[in-house]
Amino acid sequence: MRDSDVLDNNPHISRSALEAIHGQVFGWALSRTGYDRSAAEDLVQQAYIELLTGKARFDRRSSLKTFVFSVVQNLARSRYRRIASRLRLLQTAGHGAAEGLEQPVEPQQDAAVWRAVQALPQRQRDIVELVFCRDMTIESASRVMGVSTGTGRVHYDRAKKALRLTLADHGEKFDD
Amino acid sequence: MTDSDTRLRQAVGKALAAAERVPAAEFDTVWAAAVARAGIARKRRLLLSGSAAAAAIAVIAFVFHTPAGDEWRYVDRYQLLETTGWSAPSDSLLPHREFDIYESVPVLIESTEAYGGTLL
Repeated sequence: MRDSDVLDNNPHISRSALEAIHGQVFGWALSRTGYDRSAAEDLVQQAYIELLTGKARFDRRSSLKTFVFSVVQNLARSRYRRIASRLRLLQTAGHGAAEGLEQPVEPQQDAAVWRAVQALPQRQRDIVELVFCRDMTIESASRVMGVSTGTGRVHYDRAKKALRLTLADHGEKFDD
Repeated sequence: MTDSDTRLRQAVGKALAAAERVPAAEFDTVWAAAVARAGIARKRRLLLSGSAAAAAIAVIAFVFHTPAGDEWRYVDRYQLLETTGWSAPSDSLLPHREFDIYESVPVLIESTEAYGGTLL
């Protein structure tokens, strides 16, 4: 880690370390924003601002990747909370469908696996994505999701069972 | 991780990779924008804290420079010499009294009578 690289308000984070995981962070942000590229870019940018200003402070209790993923996850949650409350406000004000506020759109995927993953409950989907696709342990994934490791493990097992069942219906075999 | 887990993992990974065919935004672009926005936010915060400090100083100055109710009053000495009467300044602790020094002082000095419950 070069000294000049280190962030002023986050002494354990360097620009180069962030650059190294940028692709993975962007992928996670994409998944958080319903695969909307500009929304994902905005989300990642906001996460970097949190790190630059020191609002999100990395204290090495986890890996940098786990930490940055958690920041993205929390920002995405608060962002959707804001959007949902604005939608509710507009609906109660009699505007009907809110104009200009788009709900995240799931990408059209023909693959049965993808449809099966998308059909999972949110937390099961998240842990499957983090463990299977983002190379995280169940412990790290649980940390990102803000749940205990035990709860994460339960979601992971249920997700695997649900996926196997769904995919077996489509003729895909994932049993031992 | 069992074999079936590995196969499931590969299948899900492949499906997700297909979903993520959108190219990632350039790190340098995102970083530069974040640095710029963080700079703006810092300036705004400094401006706000500066304004708050200035407002606090203004309030303190206003409070300390407001004239109190009981100010010193200067009386022209000729005005005082024109009369033998004197009026004691009155407030909640000191009851208002008025007396004439030629009339009252001898009585005050010589009297052995009780005045208002007190032996004068």
